[in-house]
Amino acid sequence: MITLIDFFVMPLSYPFMQRALVVSLLVAAVCAVLSCYLVLKGWSLMGDAISHAVLPGIVIAYVLSIPLAIGAFVAGLACALLTGYLKENSRVKEDTVMGIVFSGMFGFGLVIFTKVETEQHLNHILFGNVLGVTVQDLIETAIVAGGTLLVVLLKRRDLLLYCFDPNHARSIGLPVRVLHYGLLVLLSLTIVASLKAVGIILVIAMLIGPGATAYLLTDSFERMLLIAITVAMASAALGTIVSFHIDGATGACIVLLQALFFILAFLFAPKRGILRQRQSLPDQPAS
Amino acid sequence: MTEWLTELLVPFSYNYMLKAMWVSALVGGVCAFLSAYLMLKGWSLMGDALGHSIVPGVAGAYILGAPFAVGAFFAGLLAALAMQFVKHKSRLREDAVIGLVFTALFALGLLMASIWPTSVSIQTIVLGNILAISDEDVVQVAIIAAVSLAILLLVWKDLMVTFFDESHARSIGIRTGFLKVLFFTLLSACTVAALQTVGACLVIAMVVTPGATAYLLTDRFGRLIVISVALGVLTSFFGAYISYFLDGATGGVIVTLQTLIFLFAFYFAPKHGVLAARRRRKALTDGASVESAA
Repeated sequence: MITLIDFFVMPLSYPFMQRALVVSLLVAAVCAVLSCYLVLKGWSLMGDAISHAVLPGIVIAYVLSIPLAIGAFVAGLACALLTGYLKENSRVKEDTVMGIVFSGMFGFGLVIFTKVETEQHLNHILFGNVLGVTVQDLIETAIVAGGTLLVVLLKRRDLLLYCFDPNHARSIGLPVRVLHYGLLVLLSLTIVASLKAVGIILVIAMLIGPGATAYLLTDSFERMLLIAITVAMASAALGTIVSFHIDGATGACIVLLQALFFILAFLFAPKRGILRQRQSLPDQPAS
Repeated sequence: MTEWLTELLVPFSYNYMLKAMWVSALVGGVCAFLSAYLMLKGWSLMGDALGHSIVPGVAGAYILGAPFAVGAFFAGLLAALAMQFVKHKSRLREDAVIGLVFTALFALGLLMASIWPTSVSIQTIVLGNILAISDEDVVQVAIIAAVSLAILLLVWKDLMVTFFDESHARSIGIRTGFLKVLFFTLLSACTVAALQTVGACLVIAMVVTPGATAYLLTDRFGRLIVISVALGVLTSFFGAYISYFLDGATGGVIVTLQTLIFLFAFYFAPKHGVLAARRRRKALTDGASVESAA
């Protein structure tokens, strides 16, 4: 029993671990909320695209010595808008255009990164550096994440209707374009907030996993939000602590735990788990 | 002037640069061949997913000292099976399933690399490092690319018929199921090869962008493949060449070149470019106003 308590408490006696835990929890919560909308809307890969595309923004912001978050945000949004523009004006499919745009931006980011003398480590941008989070990083993350969370939760019904049925949303007079771009802005902000904790590659997982897990467990959206947040925060807390003990990458541990939760839900979900499906199969009338 | 020229020829005097350039060109060509099919079917993100999914396999192979291609192949297979299984057994959308599987596998690779940092460099896997590629890796990449190219040249027509009109393909006796499996096997193999030149994050560009650019330039599929392969070879060759002067980021340079050419085609393509469309629209409205005036 003591060893178990030690397992959780000992890492938290270090201030850097405390900061890491708080940042991970914050990021996990805001990503989880967004992931519910993305899973319903079928935008999972939009998160993929935007998160890769922020790289040049970060490097350029560093060169111009403006806050990195602003550069990242502008680049992420530019990727989404450029994808839309190229799709509207050519006969190339949307997913192809998205792939071209984000890989192009990521590649360009790598090129300028090698030419710029920075103190930023590429590995930290790509995979996060949650153990090196400073108090200032913590405050920045809290502001961006808190703001995003607040807006999403206030507008959750409108966003939900838009994700489920844009036509219906338009017919009852909701500003669909505002909601569309609003969701993109919120997504970009979330990715920016997550940079420090998990980096631009693993944030994709945090923007899909919790929502997908919750989607298997419930039919009510409010409950889906709650489950996603719970799963994400539990993974974040456990992952941070486990990574301390095994001396492994923190972001990777968090993501793998989320994947584990997904697998559990996939197998054992009360209504849709594959074990339950198998049991109830013989009851169905043969047709 | 002559000094300038000798400066430009410097990369050709280094063995490692020559190696990097021809390996990149070979890989770029084969990937571009596949891209012609991939972007028409709307499977672009499979390229991205495969590129990320094979990371744990490559990391594991380096840790165990096995050939990286073997590890990558098993990881790719695992990813494809997991995606199929979850997609069939749950009500999740396909994109969410793809995203879930590849990010989880990628995280696994990252964790492995962080626990055994000496035997595997995650940066090499994610960003590629063709300038420092070992001779054994060159052999693996060359074999993969050459075999894939040979198979593609043999079956490109059957693949085309299969992807455009599957029922027609079946009626004329083409084994469509086999061809699809073959295509995805080739795709995973080329992803593995591309990992060495541009890295996991940029594999998607290699298997999407040249095909999409060619699609803007022609309507005939045979010509589309030729243009696409030419673009892939040239951008990869010159990308490696230019990266000599930048001291690295070969993958970044190759992909930036490919994207620039795509944007160029997007505006200036003779029939499907933005400017051509604008001209047509203008001609149309001019014609209409002339008619209404008359």
